[in-house]
Amino acid sequence: MSKKKVLVVDDSPTAMFMVTTILKREPYDLVKAHDGQQAIEVAAAERPDLILMDVVMPRKTGFEACRELKQREDTKSIPVILVTTRGEGENVEAGFESGCNDYITKPINAQELLAKVRDHIAG
Amino acid sequence: MKQSDHGAYVRKVQEGAQSFAQDLLGEIERLRMLVATLEAERESLAGKAQEAHQVFKVNEALRALAASLEAEMNRLHEQAIAVRAENERHQKEQARLLAQLDGVRAETTAYSSRYAEIELQNSNLANLYVASYRLHGTLERQEVIDTLKEIIANLVGSEEAGLFELDEAKQSLELVASFGISPEACSSVPLGSGIIGRAGQTGEIYVADPAGPPSGSGLEGRLTACIPLILGGRVTGAIAIFRLLPQKAGIEDLDRELFDLLATHAATALYCTTLHERFALEGARR
Repeated sequence: MSKKKVLVVDDSPTAMFMVTTILKREPYDLVKAHDGQQAIEVAAAERPDLILMDVVMPRKTGFEACRELKQREDTKSIPVILVTTRGEGENVEAGFESGCNDYITKPINAQELLAKVRDHIAG
Repeated sequence: MKQSDHGAYVRKVQEGAQSFAQDLLGEIERLRMLVATLEAERESLAGKAQEAHQVFKVNEALRALAASLEAEMNRLHEQAIAVRAENERHQKEQARLLAQLDGVRAETTAYSSRYAEIELQNSNLANLYVASYRLHGTLERQEVIDTLKEIIANLVGSEEAGLFELDEAKQSLELVASFGISPEACSSVPLGSGIIGRAGQTGEIYVADPAGPPSGSGLEGRLTACIPLILGGRVTGAIAIFRLLPQKAGIEDLDRELFDLLATHAATALYCTTLHERFALEGARR
Protein backbone atom coordinates (compact mmCIF):
# COMPACT_ATOMS: atom_id res chain seq x y z
CA MET A 1 0.00 0.00 0.00
CA SER A 2 1.40 3.38 -0.96
CA LYS A 3 2.04 5.92 1.77
CA LYS A 4 -0.36 8.81 2.16
CA LYS A 5 1.08 12.15 1.19
CA VAL A 6 0.82 15.20 3.44
CA LEU A 7 1.69 18.71 2.29
CA VAL A 8 2.94 20.87 5.16
CA VAL A 9 2.84 24.62 4.52
CA ASP A 10 4.50 27.08 6.90
CA ASP A 11 6.88 30.00 6.50
CA SER A 12 8.28 29.50 9.99
CA PRO A 13 11.21 27.05 9.91
CA THR A 14 10.61 26.18 13.56
CA ALA A 15 6.91 25.47 13.08
CA MET A 16 7.69 23.50 9.91
CA PHE A 17 10.36 21.52 11.75
CA MET A 18 7.99 20.88 14.63
CA VAL A 19 5.19 19.60 12.40
CA THR A 20 7.47 17.44 10.28
CA THR A 21 9.14 16.03 13.40
CA ILE A 22 5.72 14.97 14.69
CA LEU A 23 4.49 13.60 11.36
CA LYS A 24 7.73 11.81 10.52
CA ARG A 25 6.83 9.19 13.13
CA GLU A 26 3.78 8.28 11.04
CA PRO A 27 3.81 6.42 7.72
CA TYR A 28 3.35 9.53 5.60
CA ASP A 29 5.27 11.02 2.73
CA LEU A 30 5.84 14.66 3.60
CA VAL A 31 6.11 17.44 1.05
CA LYS A 32 6.69 21.07 2.00
CA ALA A 33 5.81 24.55 0.89
CA HIS A 34 6.78 27.81 2.53
CA ASP A 35 3.97 30.16 1.54
CA GLY A 36 0.43 30.11 0.23
CA GLN A 37 1.32 30.51 -3.43
CA GLN A 38 3.86 27.71 -3.31
CA ALA A 39 1.29 25.56 -1.51
CA ILE A 40 -1.09 25.81 -4.48
CA GLU A 41 1.67 24.91 -6.93
CA VAL A 42 2.92 21.96 -4.88
CA ALA A 43 -0.63 20.73 -4.24
CA ALA A 44 -1.42 20.76 -7.98
CA ALA A 45 1.79 18.94 -8.81
CA GLU A 46 1.91 16.43 -5.95
CA ARG A 47 -1.80 15.84 -5.30
CA PRO A 48 -1.35 15.20 -1.58
CA ASP A 49 -3.94 13.36 0.52
CA LEU A 50 -4.00 16.19 3.04
CA ILE A 51 -2.77 19.76 3.37
CA LEU A 52 -1.72 21.16 6.73
CA MET A 53 -1.31 24.90 6.33
CA ASP A 54 -0.41 27.85 8.52
CA VAL A 55 -2.62 30.93 8.21
CA VAL A 56 -0.17 33.82 8.50
CA MET A 57 2.25 33.54 5.57
CA PRO A 58 3.80 35.78 2.91
CA ARG A 59 2.62 35.98 -0.76
CA LYS A 60 -0.72 34.30 0.02
CA THR A 61 -2.20 33.68 3.47
CA GLY A 62 -3.52 30.29 4.44
CA PHE A 63 -7.11 31.54 4.00
CA GLU A 64 -6.42 32.81 0.46
CA ALA A 65 -4.55 29.68 -0.54
CA CYS A 66 -7.26 27.46 0.90
CA ARG A 67 -9.98 29.36 -0.95
CA GLU A 68 -8.08 28.96 -4.21
CA LEU A 69 -7.35 25.29 -3.62
CA LYS A 70 -11.04 24.65 -3.00
CA GLN A 71 -11.98 26.43 -6.24
CA ARG A 72 -9.60 24.47 -8.43
CA GLU A 73 -10.98 21.31 -9.95
CA ASP A 74 -7.74 19.37 -9.42
CA THR A 75 -7.30 20.24 -5.73
CA LYS A 76 -10.76 20.92 -4.36
CA SER A 77 -11.21 17.44 -2.90
CA ILE A 78 -7.98 17.56 -0.87
CA PRO A 79 -8.79 18.09 2.82
CA VAL A 80 -7.17 21.19 4.30
CA ILE A 81 -6.37 21.69 7.98
CA LEU A 82 -5.46 25.27 8.86
CA VAL A 83 -3.08 26.06 11.70
CA THR A 84 -4.27 29.27 13.30
CA THR A 85 -2.66 31.42 15.94
CA ARG A 86 -6.02 32.43 17.29
CA GLY A 87 -8.80 29.97 17.94
CA GLU A 88 -11.41 32.64 18.44
CA GLY A 89 -14.75 32.69 16.61
CA GLU A 90 -13.88 35.18 13.90
CA ASN A 91 -10.71 33.43 12.88
CA VAL A 92 -12.32 30.01 12.86
CA GLU A 93 -15.24 31.37 10.89
CA ALA A 94 -12.88 32.89 8.33
CA GLY A 95 -11.13 29.54 8.08
CA PHE A 96 -14.31 27.61 7.39
CA GLU A 97 -15.47 30.29 4.94
CA SER A 98 -12.27 29.73 3.00
CA GLY A 99 -13.33 26.10 2.69
CA CYS A 100 -10.97 24.43 5.15
CA ASN A 101 -12.04 21.09 6.54
CA ASP A 102 -10.64 21.55 10.01
CA TYR A 103 -8.28 23.69 12.04
CA ILE A 104 -5.85 23.43 14.90
CA THR A 105 -4.55 26.23 17.05
CA LYS A 106 -1.09 27.16 18.20
CA PRO A 107 0.78 26.18 20.25
CA ILE A 108 0.91 22.97 18.29
CA ASN A 109 -0.19 20.00 20.35
CA ALA A 110 1.33 16.87 18.86
CA GLN A 111 -1.49 14.57 19.91
CA GLU A 112 -4.20 16.87 18.59
CA LEU A 113 -2.28 17.31 15.35
CA LEU A 114 -1.80 13.56 14.89
CA ALA A 115 -5.43 12.83 15.74
CA LYS A 116 -6.74 15.33 13.19
CA VAL A 117 -4.32 14.29 10.48
CA ARG A 118 -5.17 10.59 11.01
CA ASP A 119 -8.85 11.39 11.03
CA HIS A 120 -8.81 13.33 7.75
CA ILE A 121 -6.43 10.92 6.04
CA ALA A 122 -8.68 8.00 6.97
CA GLY A 123 -11.96 9.73 6.17
CA MET B 1 -105.76 -110.94 36.17
CA LYS B 2 -109.01 -109.62 35.44
CA GLN B 3 -109.69 -107.60 32.38
CA SER B 4 -110.67 -104.58 34.44
CA ASP B 5 -107.49 -104.81 36.35
CA HIS B 6 -105.54 -105.08 33.15
CA GLY B 7 -107.25 -101.98 31.79
CA ALA B 8 -106.47 -100.08 34.98
CA TYR B 9 -102.95 -101.26 34.82
CA VAL B 10 -102.63 -100.15 31.16
CA ARG B 11 -104.19 -96.89 32.00
CA LYS B 12 -101.91 -96.55 34.92
CA VAL B 13 -98.94 -97.40 32.70
CA GLN B 14 -100.20 -95.07 30.05
CA GLU B 15 -100.65 -92.36 32.59
CA GLY B 16 -97.21 -93.12 33.99
CA ALA B 17 -95.85 -93.09 30.49
CA GLN B 18 -97.63 -89.86 29.75
CA SER B 19 -96.41 -88.35 32.97
CA PHE B 20 -92.90 -89.58 32.18
CA ALA B 21 -93.20 -88.23 28.67
CA GLN B 22 -94.46 -84.98 30.12
CA ASP B 23 -91.57 -84.89 32.57
CA LEU B 24 -89.20 -85.85 29.81
CA LEU B 25 -90.52 -83.18 27.57
CA GLY B 26 -90.22 -80.74 30.46
CA GLU B 27 -86.68 -81.92 31.08
CA ILE B 28 -85.90 -81.74 27.38
CA GLU B 29 -87.30 -78.24 27.32
CA ARG B 30 -85.27 -77.35 30.40
CA LEU B 31 -82.19 -78.87 28.83
CA ARG B 32 -82.91 -77.08 25.57
CA MET B 33 -83.22 -73.91 27.52
CA LEU B 34 -80.03 -74.71 29.34
CA VAL B 35 -78.29 -75.50 26.07
CA ALA B 36 -79.58 -72.22 24.65
CA THR B 37 -78.38 -70.41 27.72
CA LEU B 38 -75.06 -72.18 27.57
CA GLU B 39 -74.87 -71.46 23.86
CA ALA B 40 -75.54 -67.79 24.53
CA GLU B 41 -73.02 -67.84 27.33
CA ARG B 42 -70.54 -69.59 25.08
CA GLU B 43 -71.07 -67.02 22.43
CA SER B 44 -70.74 -64.29 24.96
CA LEU B 45 -67.60 -65.90 26.33
CA ALA B 46 -66.26 -66.32 22.82
CA GLY B 47 -66.87 -62.60 22.22
CA LYS B 48 -65.24 -61.78 25.50
CA ALA B 49 -62.37 -64.08 24.70
CA GLN B 50 -61.92 -62.32 21.40
CA GLU B 51 -62.15 -59.00 23.17
CA ALA B 52 -59.70 -60.25 25.75
CA HIS B 53 -57.43 -61.37 22.96
CA GLN B 54 -57.61 -57.98 21.39
CA VAL B 55 -57.02 -56.31 24.73
CA PHE B 56 -54.10 -58.64 25.21
CA LYS B 57 -52.74 -57.69 21.80
CA VAL B 58 -53.20 -53.99 22.60
CA ASN B 59 -51.61 -54.58 25.97
CA GLU B 60 -48.70 -56.31 24.29
CA ALA B 61 -48.34 -53.43 21.90
CA LEU B 62 -48.54 -50.98 24.77
CA ARG B 63 -45.98 -52.97 26.73
CA ALA B 64 -43.68 -52.93 23.72
CA LEU B 65 -44.28 -49.21 23.35
CA ALA B 66 -43.62 -48.68 27.05
CA ALA B 67 -40.43 -50.69 26.76
CA SER B 68 -39.40 -48.68 23.75
CA LEU B 69 -40.28 -45.44 25.54
CA GLU B 70 -38.36 -46.54 28.59
CA ALA B 71 -35.37 -47.32 26.39
CA GLU B 72 -35.78 -43.94 24.71
CA MET B 73 -36.12 -42.30 28.11
CA ASN B 74 -32.98 -44.03 29.31
CA ARG B 75 -31.19 -42.95 26.18
CA LEU B 76 -32.42 -39.36 26.64
CA HIS B 77 -31.46 -39.45 30.30
CA GLU B 78 -27.97 -40.56 29.37
CA GLN B 79 -27.94 -37.92 26.69
CA ALA B 80 -29.08 -35.32 29.24
CA ILE B 81 -26.27 -36.36 31.58
CA ALA B 82 -23.81 -36.04 28.72
CA VAL B 83 -25.26 -32.67 27.73
CA ARG B 84 -25.12 -31.49 31.34
CA ALA B 85 -21.51 -32.60 31.56
CA GLU B 86 -20.77 -30.87 28.27
CA ASN B 87 -22.60 -27.78 29.47
CA GLU B 88 -20.61 -27.74 32.68
CA ARG B 89 -17.45 -28.13 30.63
CA HIS B 90 -18.56 -25.25 28.39
CA GLN B 91 -19.39 -23.11 31.41
CA LYS B 92 -15.96 -23.78 32.85
CA GLU B 93 -14.39 -23.02 29.49
CA GLN B 94 -16.48 -19.87 29.19
CA ALA B 95 -15.45 -18.77 32.69
CA ARG B 96 -11.81 -19.48 31.80
CA LEU B 97 -12.15 -17.52 28.53
CA LEU B 98 -13.89 -14.65 30.32
CA ALA B 99 -11.10 -14.53 32.87
CA GLN B 100 -8.60 -14.63 30.01
CA LEU B 101 -10.54 -11.88 28.22
CA ASP B 102 -10.51 -9.77 31.38
CA GLY B 103 -6.79 -10.31 31.55
CA VAL B 104 -6.34 -9.35 27.91
CA ARG B 105 -8.62 -6.35 28.39
CA ALA B 106 -6.64 -5.21 31.42
CA GLU B 107 -3.42 -5.75 29.50
CA THR B 108 -4.79 -3.80 26.52
CA THR B 109 -5.86 -0.96 28.80
CA ALA B 110 -2.43 -0.95 30.39
CA TYR B 111 -0.78 -1.00 26.96
CA SER B 112 -2.95 1.77 25.55
CA SER B 113 -2.39 3.85 28.65
CA ARG B 114 1.33 3.20 28.35
CA TYR B 115 1.12 4.01 24.62
CA ALA B 116 -0.62 7.30 25.37
CA GLU B 117 1.98 8.04 28.01
CA ILE B 118 4.81 7.28 25.58
CA GLU B 119 3.12 9.32 22.86
CA LEU B 120 2.86 12.24 25.29
CA GLN B 121 6.52 11.82 26.26
CA ASN B 122 7.39 11.67 22.57
CA SER B 123 5.47 14.86 21.94
CA ASN B 124 7.17 16.54 24.87
CA LEU B 125 10.53 15.37 23.66
CA ALA B 126 9.67 16.55 20.15
CA ASN B 127 9.06 20.06 21.51
CA LEU B 128 12.36 20.08 23.37
CA TYR B 129 14.20 18.50 20.45
CA VAL B 130 12.80 21.05 17.99
CA ALA B 131 13.69 23.97 20.27
CA SER B 132 17.21 22.70 20.89
CA TYR B 133 17.81 21.75 17.24
CA ARG B 134 16.57 25.07 15.94
CA LEU B 135 18.54 27.16 18.46
CA HIS B 136 21.79 25.41 17.66
CA GLY B 137 21.14 25.13 13.93
CA THR B 138 22.59 28.51 13.08
CA LEU B 139 25.42 30.89 13.86
CA GLU B 140 23.44 33.93 12.75
CA ARG B 141 22.35 36.05 15.69
CA GLN B 142 19.16 37.27 13.95
CA GLU B 143 18.21 33.71 13.12
CA VAL B 144 18.56 32.70 16.76
CA ILE B 145 16.34 35.63 17.75
CA ASP B 146 13.78 34.70 15.07
CA THR B 147 13.91 31.11 16.25
CA LEU B 148 13.25 32.21 19.82
CA LYS B 149 10.25 34.17 18.59
CA GLU B 150 8.98 31.14 16.68
CA ILE B 151 9.53 28.86 19.68
CA ILE B 152 7.56 31.22 21.91
CA ALA B 153 4.75 31.54 19.36
CA ASN B 154 4.55 27.94 18.18
CA LEU B 155 5.64 25.92 21.19
CA VAL B 156 4.74 28.08 24.17
CA GLY B 157 1.77 29.90 22.65
CA SER B 158 2.41 33.61 23.09
CA GLU B 159 2.76 36.51 20.69
CA GLU B 160 4.12 38.95 23.22
CA ALA B 161 7.71 38.57 24.35
CA GLY B 162 10.95 40.40 24.91
CA LEU B 163 14.55 39.23 24.80
CA PHE B 164 17.01 40.95 27.11
CA GLU B 165 20.78 40.76 27.37
CA LEU B 166 22.80 41.68 30.43
CA ASP B 167 24.78 44.88 30.33
CA GLU B 168 27.29 44.22 33.08
CA ALA B 169 28.52 47.80 33.16
CA LYS B 170 25.04 49.19 33.64
CA GLN B 171 23.89 46.24 35.77
CA SER B 172 20.73 46.12 33.73
CA LEU B 173 18.91 43.93 31.27
CA GLU B 174 18.74 45.60 27.88
CA LEU B 175 15.95 44.76 25.44
CA VAL B 176 17.49 43.47 22.21
CA ALA B 177 14.38 42.11 20.49
CA SER B 178 10.67 42.03 21.09
CA PHE B 179 7.40 41.22 19.41
CA GLY B 180 3.83 42.04 20.29
CA ILE B 181 4.84 44.68 22.88
CA SER B 182 5.97 48.25 22.78
CA PRO B 183 9.80 48.19 23.11
CA GLU B 184 9.80 51.53 24.88
CA ALA B 185 7.88 50.03 27.79
CA CYS B 186 10.83 47.88 28.86
CA SER B 187 13.92 48.88 26.91
CA SER B 188 16.13 48.72 29.99
CA VAL B 189 15.40 46.92 33.25
CA PRO B 190 17.81 47.42 36.20
CA LEU B 191 18.84 44.17 37.88
CA GLY B 192 16.69 43.56 40.93
CA SER B 193 13.96 45.93 39.73
CA GLY B 194 10.53 44.45 39.14
CA ILE B 195 9.88 40.83 38.27
CA ILE B 196 12.15 40.79 35.22
CA GLY B 197 14.97 42.52 37.08
CA ARG B 198 14.64 40.13 40.03
CA ALA B 199 14.68 37.08 37.74
CA GLY B 200 17.84 38.51 36.14
CA GLN B 201 19.39 39.00 39.55
CA THR B 202 18.45 35.65 41.13
CA GLY B 203 18.67 33.48 38.03
CA GLU B 204 15.37 31.85 38.96
CA ILE B 205 12.60 31.28 36.46
CA TYR B 206 9.45 33.22 37.26
CA VAL B 207 6.04 31.82 36.38
CA ALA B 208 2.95 33.87 37.26
CA ASP B 209 0.24 32.29 39.35
CA PRO B 210 -2.78 32.23 36.99
CA ALA B 211 -5.19 32.27 39.93
CA GLY B 212 -3.49 35.13 41.77
CA PRO B 213 -3.56 38.87 41.11
CA PRO B 214 -0.97 40.36 38.70
CA SER B 215 2.41 40.37 40.41
CA GLY B 216 3.75 43.38 38.59
CA SER B 217 2.61 46.74 37.38
CA GLY B 218 2.47 48.21 33.88
CA LEU B 219 3.74 45.82 31.24
CA GLU B 220 4.81 43.38 33.98
CA GLY B 221 1.15 43.08 34.96
CA ARG B 222 0.77 40.97 31.77
CA LEU B 223 3.88 38.92 32.47
CA THR B 224 3.33 35.16 32.31
CA ALA B 225 6.91 33.99 32.70
CA CYS B 226 10.44 35.30 32.86
CA ILE B 227 13.31 32.99 32.01
CA PRO B 228 16.81 34.11 32.94
CA LEU B 229 19.40 33.03 30.38
CA ILE B 230 22.24 31.29 32.18
CA LEU B 231 25.66 30.41 30.86
CA GLY B 232 28.38 28.95 33.07
CA GLY B 233 26.27 29.65 36.15
CA ARG B 234 25.94 33.35 35.33
CA VAL B 235 22.91 35.23 34.09
CA THR B 236 23.52 36.63 30.60
CA GLY B 237 20.02 37.82 29.78
CA ALA B 238 16.34 36.99 30.08
CA ILE B 239 13.28 36.12 28.05
CA ALA B 240 10.06 37.73 29.22
CA ILE B 241 6.85 36.12 27.99
CA PHE B 242 3.76 38.27 28.40
CA ARG B 243 0.17 37.31 27.53
CA LEU B 244 -0.50 33.81 26.27
CA LEU B 245 -2.69 33.15 23.24
CA PRO B 246 -6.39 33.09 24.22
CA GLN B 247 -6.71 29.34 23.66
CA LYS B 248 -3.74 28.57 25.90
CA ALA B 249 -5.09 27.99 29.39
CA GLY B 250 -1.84 28.42 31.27
CA ILE B 251 1.73 27.30 31.72
CA GLU B 252 2.02 23.51 31.71
CA ASP B 253 4.69 21.07 32.84
CA LEU B 254 6.00 20.85 29.28
CA ASP B 255 6.38 24.65 29.16
CA ARG B 256 8.42 24.53 32.37
CA GLU B 257 10.70 21.93 30.79
CA LEU B 258 10.98 24.11 27.73
CA PHE B 259 11.82 27.13 29.94
CA ASP B 260 14.59 25.09 31.60
CA LEU B 261 15.92 24.23 28.15
CA LEU B 262 15.68 27.81 26.92
CA ALA B 263 17.49 29.10 30.01
CA THR B 264 20.68 27.35 29.00
CA HIS B 265 20.32 26.63 25.28
CA ALA B 266 19.17 30.12 24.27
CA ALA B 267 22.02 31.59 26.32
CA THR B 268 24.52 29.26 24.65
CA ALA B 269 23.12 29.88 21.17
CA LEU B 270 23.23 33.67 21.61
CA TYR B 271 26.75 33.47 23.06
CA CYS B 272 27.93 31.33 20.13
CA THR B 273 26.51 33.78 17.59
CA THR B 274 28.24 36.65 19.44
CA LEU B 275 31.53 34.75 19.36
CA HIS B 276 31.01 33.88 15.72
CA GLU B 277 30.30 37.50 14.82
CA ARG B 278 33.40 38.59 16.77
CA PHE B 279 35.59 36.03 14.99
CA ALA B 280 34.05 36.99 11.67
CA LEU B 281 34.80 40.65 12.35
CA GLU B 282 38.36 39.85 13.44
CA GLY B 283 38.83 37.69 10.40
CA ALA B 284 37.60 40.49 8.17
CA ARG B 285 40.00 42.95 9.84
CA ARG B 286 42.97 40.69 9.17
